Amino acid sequence: MTRKEKILAYVQAKNKAVTTKEIADDLGILRNNVSKELNVLVRAGQLSKIAGRPVKYQSLTAKTDTVIAETVSKIPDPTEPSLRSSIFDTMIGQKDSLKTQIEQAKAAILYPPHGLNVLITGPTGSGKTYFANAMHQFAINQAMVENKNFVTFNCADYAHNPQLLMSHLFGYVKGAFTGAQEDRDGLIQKADGGILFLDEVHRLPPEGQEMIFYFMDHGTYSKLGEITKVHHADVRLICATTEDPESSLLKTFVRRIPITIQMPQFEARSVREQLALLKRLLTLEANRTQKNITVTEDVVKALLGSVTFGNVGQLKSNIQLVCAQGFLNSVDQAEQINLKFEQLPQNIKDGMSRLASDRARLGKLSQLLEPVLLIQPDGAAESINESDRYELPYNLYEVIGNKAALLKEEGLEQGAINNFIMTDINVHLKSFYRDNKILRTEKNLNELVDQDTLQLTKDIMQMLKKDCGYHVGENFIYAMSLHLSSFIKRVQSGRPMREVSDDLVAMVKDYPADLKLAEKIKAMLEDHYDFIVPASEVYYLAVLLISLNSVPKHGKVGVVVAAHGNHTASSMVQVVTELLNVDNLVAVDMSLEMSPTVALNEIIAKVKQVDRGNGVLLLVDMGSLSTFSAKITEETDIKVKTIDMVTTAMVLEAARKTALIDSDLELVYHELNEFNGYSRKAEEPTQGELEDVRQRAILALCSTGKGTAEKIKQMLDEILADQLIDDVSVLTMSVVGMNDKISELNEEYRIIATTGIADPNLGVPYISLEELFQGDRGKRQLIEHLENSQTWYVESKTPAPKVDQTAAANYLEQYYTFINPKKVIGVLWQYCDLLAKERQLKLTDARRLALIMHLGGAIERVLLSAPVTLTEEQAVEFEQSDWPQVLKLADEYLEAKLNLKFPPAEAYYIAKLVDTEMVES
Amino acid sequence: MDVKLLRIDSRLLHGQVATDWAKNTAIERILVVCDQAAGDNIRKTLLMQAAPPGIKVHVLTVSKMLRLCRDERFDHYKVLVLVETPLDAMRLIAGGLNTTSVNLGSLSFDATRKMITETIAVNEQDILALAWIRRRGIELDHRKVSSDPKRDLWKLLCDKGLVKDELDHS
Repeated sequence: MTRKEKILAYVQAKNKAVTTKEIADDLGILRNNVSKELNVLVRAGQLSKIAGRPVKYQSLTAKTDTVIAETVSKIPDPTEPSLRSSIFDTMIGQKDSLKTQIEQAKAAILYPPHGLNVLITGPTGSGKTYFANAMHQFAINQAMVENKNFVTFNCADYAHNPQLLMSHLFGYVKGAFTGAQEDRDGLIQKADGGILFLDEVHRLPPEGQEMIFYFMDHGTYSKLGEITKVHHADVRLICATTEDPESSLLKTFVRRIPITIQMPQFEARSVREQLALLKRLLTLEANRTQKNITVTEDVVKALLGSVTFGNVGQLKSNIQLVCAQGFLNSVDQAEQINLKFEQLPQNIKDGMSRLASDRARLGKLSQLLEPVLLIQPDGAAESINESDRYELPYNLYEVIGNKAALLKEEGLEQGAINNFIMTDINVHLKSFYRDNKILRTEKNLNELVDQDTLQLTKDIMQMLKKDCGYHVGENFIYAMSLHLSSFIKRVQSGRPMREVSDDLVAMVKDYPADLKLAEKIKAMLEDHYDFIVPASEVYYLAVLLISLNSVPKHGKVGVVVAAHGNHTASSMVQVVTELLNVDNLVAVDMSLEMSPTVALNEIIAKVKQVDRGNGVLLLVDMGSLSTFSAKITEETDIKVKTIDMVTTAMVLEAARKTALIDSDLELVYHELNEFNGYSRKAEEPTQGELEDVRQRAILALCSTGKGTAEKIKQMLDEILADQLIDDVSVLTMSVVGMNDKISELNEEYRIIATTGIADPNLGVPYISLEELFQGDRGKRQLIEHLENSQTWYVESKTPAPKVDQTAAANYLEQYYTFINPKKVIGVLWQYCDLLAKERQLKLTDARRLALIMHLGGAIERVLLSAPVTLTEEQAVEFEQSDWPQVLKLADEYLEAKLNLKFPPAEAYYIAKLVDTEMVES
Repeated sequence: MDVKLLRIDSRLLHGQVATDWAKNTAIERILVVCDQAAGDNIRKTLLMQAAPPGIKVHVLTVSKMLRLCRDERFDHYKVLVLVETPLDAMRLIAGGLNTTSVNLGSLSFDATRKMITETIAVNEQDILALAWIRRRGIELDHRKVSSDPKRDLWKLLCDKGLVKDELDHS
């Protein structure tokens, strides 16, 4: 009896349809051989094949009614029970943000004969692993896989050792390398007949990708140390990556994966879904603790807002954190964990304000929320995901419960117990944030300022915030604690107190409120240190408060990318957002048929969304888009600059420039306009430009120019030396009388960056104290900036024609008809000098010229009896100012020389001109 | 600057340097001194990435290196200096870099150069620079890795008849 006959006999003997596998198992023939023979038999008309999953075969003579029905339904009917109740139905977003993804996943699993390989992309924490697990579960339920093991492998695990990684995947033979004592099967073999999940697949080295795709094509592979590809395995691959597959994986690899499933960002999901996710995750915790959890509205908002970069995964970690904390606080209560806003850790509380900045989202959320949300354990099994890296390897609640009980037995107070265990919880849950900066701030500051001062600063901050409504900016804790620490040192070392200059008093006089606050701080200091704080210190404290307060709550410059095509803009934005982890970037995709008005409205909406009060940069691809900026500004009052021909590199550069160092819109716009991609050669200086030979310098500002600024200088000097940068000086300066000193410095130094308690707005990057002290990113940015600013070309000064009396006379001649320039110029020149002296102005040539031209006009008006007029208010304003006094001397001189007197209206305008044009520096 | 090793190597920073010399010379930084590399961002990045763990790599121009040599802020830095050619080594020594020995790792072959050992090829310019260095009493030590036996490159050059030994016989 041949194999074929055996199979035929077997099928005929059965009175129903059978699968290939059943035949193979019962007859002991290899499955693929069975399959081959079955096909021959079907073609020969001896058996019939019933489409479906899995395919069944039956003898032609044994047709039953159901068979016909089955044969008809070639395409799986979604109403079929097994499909209808698939694992995906309980997935949040299955009808909304994950609809397409789930359809893709089902198609990939069900595609005949064995399903398709899949690549899942999406930002970190967006649920790629969860989704892959669900796909596997689905495959099992649909009986599409024989091997029920879900074999997972994280390619990042051995990324530093490609050989080890490959040996894990493919296995090895004895003697392949030192220590290969015996043959070992790889994961591919373990996954035979099932699914292999490759996480972080972009970390797979190119050779590995090649071997994998050879395997995809042929189903065969070789172990490490083997020459021929003799092993066979039937494996579906699910790969996952956070990177853009086009740039991080071999093209040949990507091409072989027919289905790419993109997981959405948390922010991109609807508010309803976000809320559902939150409830689902809370339910998990409720199940674990077997207690009800109540959550107030504010806690929900804070939790949702606390998701900054890590998507659902971060939400999960945060929920675990607050639940663990809540559990600890309610160990004694039998049935319930109450989560209240006041008890949340600061970083979660911050989520509230983050959410509040997004009005639209907050509004929608508020509609969906009840004052208190009650979550009950639903008795469901744990999540389907066994290899979830956001999951702790043990039951945290048991640990907490046991520990609390133990400590209680030891007779510890509840407060002490809580402290003790909170430390524990933080250690357990910190892993998610390991690479992130939370809590690093204080650690860094601790190295510079002692704990006592830091605590005092915090008390002061609390006082200012609570009692006085003073706006405490991000810089506050740094600036104040450094200031205090240097002040205390000064007192302790017995060095003389700083003197108070007149400038300082004058400056503070205009800010009585801050002076009052400074007095309060002084009282606190005296109370704390038990010594008398000299009055001069109050002024310095006031200056500090003024400076910190005047730091505008500048957000970053926002960036909107608008391009034609369904995904052009959003894919650029996605790449950049993931690379740089920025949040000031949004995309507008415009299909070609979209009308300009609709496009404009959409862009306006996005501009509003991304604006933080510092303007928005609009990057567009072509055409009508580039004319939008004026219209947008008109409609929204937001400053907008547009740059044409956007590329990913440009978006990257824009994000980098806007997000990392605090720059302003004009500056970014200007720099980007000159940006031509990263691979350009160093630009040759064009003719007429000279290399700037001034020494490069970084300016550090504080209220005195001594304390904090010196500290910053120390720190920067260290960084510079460490980078072997020997040609950048760090200059320290007080904010008092800053502008004059800066222009002096400009003679000798080229200031390339500023830092300290206030941004002097010099059109160069300003690095806040926070950025500077908060670890590496600020420093890295600074260094990069230093590297880039090495050569700098300025327009060679065709030395601006010196404005002397003759030149001024020439100008007057060009513009005025009725005065004799040569006669009046000497008088006007002198008039300017008198005015400048009286008003303590520094008259540059340009300003002197402007004033002379204005005076010429005034004289002409007087001569022609064509006076300008003043409103009553203006006249009163002028009379009450000190201007009549200031102008007196100059006017007397004018009258003596030209026998001519300016009417009050002219005097008013002269005063205005000086006030607006010249007072600034 | 405390120059623990000055090495001439056409390949600048590579495995032999990173794994062997960096470990056996007790240095904190590797300074790659090469005008071309310092002006070429890609090359610079690649060199920096070849840094062995715990050691910083800087890529500098010759003029900057000389500036640093004279700057007392950097006096306590223990460094390994890599240059591409004997000429650059000569420029550094002439500019004030202090060393008693120059290590020759490799000099790659090209049309102008002649092989004298399995890793060293020299042309006339190289020989002039090497002779200049030698005249200052600085040892020319030809070793690929620190465990190789010391070979005097000057002697090799003499044996090949490329230079006349002015020092040892006078």
